[in-house]
Amino acid sequence: MLAIREMARRRLQFGLVTGVVTLIAYLVLMVTGLGLGLNQAAGTALLALDGDYLAYSDRSNLSVIRSQLSEAQATDIATAPGVAASAPIGYVAAAIEFRPGEVDTGALLGIDLGAIAEPAVVEGRALTETDTRGLLVDRTWVSLTGTGIGDTLQVPVGLAFEPFEIVGVVDEGSFFFQPAMFMLRDTWRQISYRAVDQATPFASVVLLQGESLEGATGAGWEIVTKDTAFWNIEGVSAQQGTVDALRYMGLLIGAMVIGVFFYVITLQKVSLLGVLKAIGASGTYLTTQGLLQVFLVSLTGTALAAGLAVLTKATVLSSDAIPIAFTTGAILSSSVAVVVAGVVGALLSMRQISSIDPIIAMQQQQ
Amino acid sequence: MALLELTDITKTFGAGDQRVEALRGVSMAVEAGEMVALVGPSGSGKSTLLAIIGALLTPTAGSMLIGGRDVATFDAGARTRYRRDQVGFVFQASNLVPFLTARENLLLVGEFGGADKGALRRRADELLKELGLTEAAGQAANRLSGGQRQRVAIARALMRDPLLILVDEPTASLDTTRGAQVVEALREEIHGRHKACVMVTHDLEMAARADRVLEIRDGLLRAHGAPVV
Ligand SMILES: Nc1ncnc2c1ncn2[C@@H]1O[C@H](COP(=O)(O)OP(=O)(O)O)[C@@H](O)[C@H]1O
Ligand SMILES: [Mg+2]
Repeated sequence: MLAIREMARRRLQFGLVTGVVTLIAYLVLMVTGLGLGLNQAAGTALLALDGDYLAYSDRSNLSVIRSQLSEAQATDIATAPGVAASAPIGYVAAAIEFRPGEVDTGALLGIDLGAIAEPAVVEGRALTETDTRGLLVDRTWVSLTGTGIGDTLQVPVGLAFEPFEIVGVVDEGSFFFQPAMFMLRDTWRQISYRAVDQATPFASVVLLQGESLEGATGAGWEIVTKDTAFWNIEGVSAQQGTVDALRYMGLLIGAMVIGVFFYVITLQKVSLLGVLKAIGASGTYLTTQGLLQVFLVSLTGTALAAGLAVLTKATVLSSDAIPIAFTTGAILSSSVAVVVAGVVGALLSMRQISSIDPIIAMQQQQ
Repeated sequence: MALLELTDITKTFGAGDQRVEALRGVSMAVEAGEMVALVGPSGSGKSTLLAIIGALLTPTAGSMLIGGRDVATFDAGARTRYRRDQVGFVFQASNLVPFLTARENLLLVGEFGGADKGALRRRADELLKELGLTEAAGQAANRLSGGQRQRVAIARALMRDPLLILVDEPTASLDTTRGAQVVEALREEIHGRHKACVMVTHDLEMAARADRVLEIRDGLLRAHGAPVV
């Protein structure tokens, strides 16, 4: 009652600090959302692949761009102990002209029909053997560019652009910050290497299903988990590091703001708290009241911030052009982090409260 | 046996050059229903004695029995509960929670645990009425006059039906008329509710309203008016 009454009667002070906490929590949430969004842009298509492991050529440094595997290696990998299923995948980035003069970069992924890397089609139809100039294109990109099934995209094959048809839409996200576009692996070989013969790489990587394949190696190849593959996508670890640093900074600022605020209001109340202790309030009672306030301020601030963040995403950032993404889990964990930061920040004040000597009640002169 | 019995209480602050003997062997007894005024010049040890009786300070030596129990043996938790349940304090000034109303200030002591809240609500209304605070009950403490505040403090001290009321300079912030009204109200409550009361004051006119006046000088107690030995 004491904690709540004080907040209700000192609305200005508590309102202001709640407002500041809201802004800080909002910042933390948006940064978290940006991190999630960037990660999604970096590799949802990789994470969405229906397998647990990826094989790379061993001198690629786990870069899909630099990895090149021969047919012999792909066979070698496919027959490695523990492998249940495998699918070679080719990757190349290409400029895609989706309307005369309008060009975007797409992540072209060459796949084999019927293999585990073939994506599920959500609209239109799947690729067939005869679709040498057919594409399955990511849903988000289709809506962003206003293209659709049956539309023609100009894709560079050698020096010339050739017409490719969107035969289906998939929901696989993006890869290397580019929309995923799936094609037959033979077509990918043509685009990537022009001449296709024995010396042409067979795939960039091989997707694998199986048991405990991590760390397996062979002639010029190595296997890692999909997770490791994801964190090795160029830029992902660095951007996650940046996002984490910003989050921790936000949490630190939150802890300090709450800490300083409660320190100051505790200082203002030292003599009152002394009187309350003198008339029989225990230190536990008073710190509980203090913690309740800290908890309410940080919880209210975080709840407002979560609402604000979701609202921002739904309005200002509704186009998918800005990669901010929220998941319930991310919002919850960030909210908990802000509340914990607030409580940690206020611990000093709680110590201060419990160390007040009730004798001061008798030492105040009018 | 008296409700409160102090035997040979001493209190020394500091050590060496800083050493101050605030109390040098104080013995006294207070009966239930009795209001004792403690007078003496500034620095004579009045507040120190009151703080010891209220378990805000521990004596350096001597014994203190309250209702037959030896307070010196209490641990920190027991001292807090003793102050909560057995003692009612009225301090000089600014001892109410400013943002709570008069009535809320009374009910607040129910939150410290170990009390029947329903009984406390009835008691609060009763005390507000007796102390002429019915109209002021809903006002924030920082809006009350000085006299009203001290009467609320007296009511709060009585809320948990303590054995002992300890009052430190209750009229320091009041003019003579209001001060007299406050002390008169206190006296009526002490007698009406059969409490023991020790009131520190430097105002002899206020002290004269008590049943008995004790004078303290340089940490030693003697009956008021007795010659300096
Ligand atoms: N915490 C303390 N530390 C040191 N000396 C103190 C302390 N409290 C009181 N004293 C000293 O004890 C003596 C009695 O003080 P006090 O009981 O406050 O007197 P009074 O209330 O009669 O004015 C004074 O000399 C005072 O300076
Ligand atoms: Mg004093």
